[in-house]
Amino acid sequence: MIKTVFFTGITLIFFYIIWIHNIFAHREKYEMPAQYAKIADDVKSYAKEGKQLFEQNCQACHSVRYDAVYISSVQANPKLQTLQEKYGKVLPRDVYEAVFYEDLMALKQSFGKVPPDLSTIYLVKGKEYLFNFTLEPQKVLPGTSMPAVMTGRPEETAKIIAYLKSVAEPSPEEKNKRMLMGVGTIAYLIVMGVLLWLWRGRILRKMGLH
Amino acid sequence: MLGRIGRWIDERAHLSELWQSQMVDYKVPKNLTFPYAFGIMALVAFAIQVISGIFLTMYYQPNVHTAFDSANYTIMKEVPFMWLVRHVHAAGANFFLAVVYLHIFTGIYYNAYKKPRELTWIVGWVIYFVLLTTALTGYLLPWGQLSYWGMVVTAEIPTSIDSAPIIGKLKIGETISIWMKGGYEIGQITLGRFFGLHIWLLPLILLLLLSIHLYLVRAAGISNPEGIEIDKKKEGVPFHPYMTLKEGAYVMGYLAVFFFFVFFHMSHFLPADNYDPADPFKTPAHIAPEWYLLAYYTIFRSIPDKFLGFVAFNLTLVLLLLLPFLDFSPLKSARRRPLFLIMFIVFVISSMVLTVLGTMPPTPTNALLGLIFTATLFAFFLSLPIISLIEWGWYKARGGEKK
Ligand code: HEC
Ligand code: HEM
Repeated sequence: MIKTVFFTGITLIFFYIIWIHNIFAHREKYEMPAQYAKIADDVKSYAKEGKQLFEQNCQACHSVRYDAVYISSVQANPKLQTLQEKYGKVLPRDVYEAVFYEDLMALKQSFGKVPPDLSTIYLVKGKEYLFNFTLEPQKVLPGTSMPAVMTGRPEETAKIIAYLKSVAEPSPEEKNKRMLMGVGTIAYLIVMGVLLWLWRGRILRKMGLH
Repeated sequence: MLGRIGRWIDERAHLSELWQSQMVDYKVPKNLTFPYAFGIMALVAFAIQVISGIFLTMYYQPNVHTAFDSANYTIMKEVPFMWLVRHVHAAGANFFLAVVYLHIFTGIYYNAYKKPRELTWIVGWVIYFVLLTTALTGYLLPWGQLSYWGMVVTAEIPTSIDSAPIIGKLKIGETISIWMKGGYEIGQITLGRFFGLHIWLLPLILLLLLSIHLYLVRAAGISNPEGIEIDKKKEGVPFHPYMTLKEGAYVMGYLAVFFFFVFFHMSHFLPADNYDPADPFKTPAHIAPEWYLLAYYTIFRSIPDKFLGFVAFNLTLVLLLLLPFLDFSPLKSARRRPLFLIMFIVFVISSMVLTVLGTMPPTPTNALLGLIFTATLFAFFLSLPIISLIEWGWYKARGGEKK
């Protein structure tokens, strides 16, 4: 009995640490005022406005390919539409990078590297990092070539983050659907497990094996 | 109608006889504990990987330019329900390894590796090894930053052979490293090779090994928590329905936990850094292998000398393989072996601590802790022959009691 409790206990603690919350691993933490965090999380109300703000402030350098948003010079290029008719709105990365090589190289010339595509950045960095970095790039990433384009505009920055979140994550409706599916699946499995157990009890009693 | 078709087939294939002889007349001990279900759970985990993997292959593209987008756009966003398949496959790999680890530790606890089951153990070890390679090759496929840099670090490890005194001159390590990568760099060739290995060669080998493993389990009969071989005719219970329904219920519980992670907690199985596309010019801040390799990794990096570190972590694997021969005591099962139980606890705690240390930064304190727990890990293996000798003494003194 003691042994069972002991081994079950350490196994659960172990998997809690490595799979759920590692209390020993160190990660940088960034802060974000609650009022802006709320905006960044509210995809439903702000993603649309955020997209416009993105187009005004970031699209000169960054693409969001998963939303068919390409850097401004590409967007103005008539070739884009031809390609999209052939390949779909979201161009394959190799096609995009090969056809618009010069546009990308021009950015590289100015900034030392091609500014990254921001389709999945929300998942990589989280809203707190994005908020701090976009407002003060130099403070978060000293020596970076990204200019501070959003200085003094925290609310608009939060809206841009809401947009990036809407591209990276499933929509709120989709999330609700997934939650229902998850709860349904788990409930089904538990019920089946219990039924199987009860049924087994009956069979075994009949067989005199209990 | 269906019944008639069934009978028609049965008259020709004799399936019900097979079922009767293999599932019902096959007797198992009545007192099997919960951990005996980990073997079945591993089997279920394998099936889950195969099924989800087949669907992933339909949309995944093994090409350095498009691999990342095929995983993160086509699969995660474009094709309905493929996100679920990817979640299942990624969580499934972790659960598979977790269950196999638990299965191995169970086998050690009950000494299931002893005569007549040494071969079962050895085949099981090969399964474990092939499983690690399968996981390693699969992890490269999404072509994210962690995929890429994790492989860079892994492919570096064999080069530590080259810092050895004499054989270092032969550059064996470098050769192995180049062979792993398919060239001097990780690129298209690596990805193509890993894809081939991951989606059919390694799983086929696993399937073959699993069949042999299960055959051997049947051939030797299941071990017993008490460590005493039972007289199956008298004490055994029919495998079906006694075990099938019991383990079936456990498997439902296992799947419930599994789907909890699939739907609600994927952040550790699809980690944030891997949503960043692979970039050979940008080293990420945290590179560590997956959790199932961390214990070996900690052993490797805690030992100051690279070559010795390499030898030490490979030695751990070899000692695990040799377990049936290190432990030659006539007694079986930790339930009846207090000395063994103590060392088993030391072994479990050392493995866990080494794994957790692998997630922490390599500070001098952590390196020292790593060394200490490496020592206690080896102490478990080295204590086995000593414990065995002592137990032979007891056994003889009691005139070799009934086993
Ligand atoms: C004038 C060009 C330019 C504009 C406009 C611009 N960026 Fe950047 N951005 C860059 C460059 C260049 C980098 C690469 C910096 C580096 O890695 O050092 C970058 C990097 C980034 C990164 C990645 C940071 C990291 O840690 O890797 C994020 C996030 C980002 N930008 C967000 C934005 C957002 C949001 C906007 C609009 C508000 C924006 N950028 C506007 C040039 C620009
Ligand atoms: C793909 C992974 C594996 C699967 C699917 C699998 C499956 C099984 C199953 C179904 C059993 C039946 C007995 C039980 O449930 O305990 C079993 C027994 C056993 N397995 Fe595995 N196994 C796997 C990997 C391993 C590994 C990696 C090892 C050890 C290194 C191992 C060692 C053993 C041993 C020693 C037994 C005999 C246990 C006994 O008779 O009590 N197995 N395995």
